[in-house]
Amino acid sequence: MAEMDPGTLITLVTIVGSTLGIVLGALTPAIVEGRAVLKALEGMTRQPEAAGDLRTTLLISMALLESTAIYVLLVILVLIFANPVIDRFFPGG
Amino acid sequence: MDRFFPQVVFSIFGVEVRDTVVSTWIMMGVILLLAILIRRRRPTLLEMLLDFLEDLIGDLLGGYRIERYLPFLGSLAIFVAFANIFSILPTIPLPGGAMLPIVAPTRDLNTPIALAVVVFFSVHYYGMLQQGVLGYLKNLASPVFLLPLEIIGQISRTVSLAVRLFGNVLSTELIVVVVFMLIPLFVPLPVIGLNLFTGLLQAYIFTALAAVYISTGLEEPEEDQRAIGITEPEPAAAMLEPRSQTGDRHSRERRP
Repeated sequence: MAEMDPGTLITLVTIVGSTLGIVLGALTPAIVEGRAVLKALEGMTRQPEAAGDLRTTLLISMALLESTAIYVLLVILVLIFANPVIDRFFPGG
Repeated sequence: MDRFFPQVVFSIFGVEVRDTVVSTWIMMGVILLLAILIRRRRPTLLEMLLDFLEDLIGDLLGGYRIERYLPFLGSLAIFVAFANIFSILPTIPLPGGAMLPIVAPTRDLNTPIALAVVVFFSVHYYGMLQQGVLGYLKNLASPVFLLPLEIIGQISRTVSLAVRLFGNVLSTELIVVVVFMLIPLFVPLPVIGLNLFTGLLQAYIFTALAAVYISTGLEEPEEDQRAIGITEPEPAAAMLEPRSQTGDRHSRERRP
């Protein structure tokens, strides 16, 4: 632990950071989407005639909520497969 | 794993052509062939598809003349749906001994960005068609100090439209690849089914969002404004009871 190769250090930080990031990025949208589905189901049971409108709105808002998780995934994919920091410090490596 | 990302197949005058572009060409041919075949053999299938698309778009653009928007949004839906599920086709062996992998065209970030840019311009085009060039621009900058926010909103929703489609397709295909590397026999089949379902759902969401964006660029329909004018004497009652307002909206939509 005394002397660590900078490449190893960057890789280690990347892996730990990606794991933490995907945990948070999956957890938060899941909770929020669950609340959205809960409210929509409540509305559907209370007013079944409005179920069609609610379903369309629910799908669109779920897609909007889901996109935050997708952003996290994209950043992590870039970190793992095309890490710009490693390219800067170790060109060609 | 490196082969997972788009590969350059050949280049014309320095412009690199990736395998996603070649897959798009093949996909266009498949769609054309299917359309001709179905039209000749089973025309009722095409009518069912048209009814489905009309319902989908009519829900979101209710009150407007959807015949104007149906060709664009319908072809967008068909293209994205085919593009998302196109990776289930196997690799094609070429005469030269090389293999041409068929991949989902939306796996490359360039395809969703192109589609989102088309949606971006179509919003303004349909808005100007509906309320005139000057009227649309005036409506866009109705409070002038909010114009920068409006521009930022337009750009960011275009980017998010593209990135959402790309990220969803890429992530589900990544899951398929990982499961295939672990257990190659039979086990990836349900995951591929999930891939197909997600692809169709994303096509629906892409079309629905495009319809929502187009509807935000349009003015309120003529009869809608007249209906508001009729109910104008009693705005206090509508304000007190929000449910009567929604009921009012439904009755207005049903009016021919």
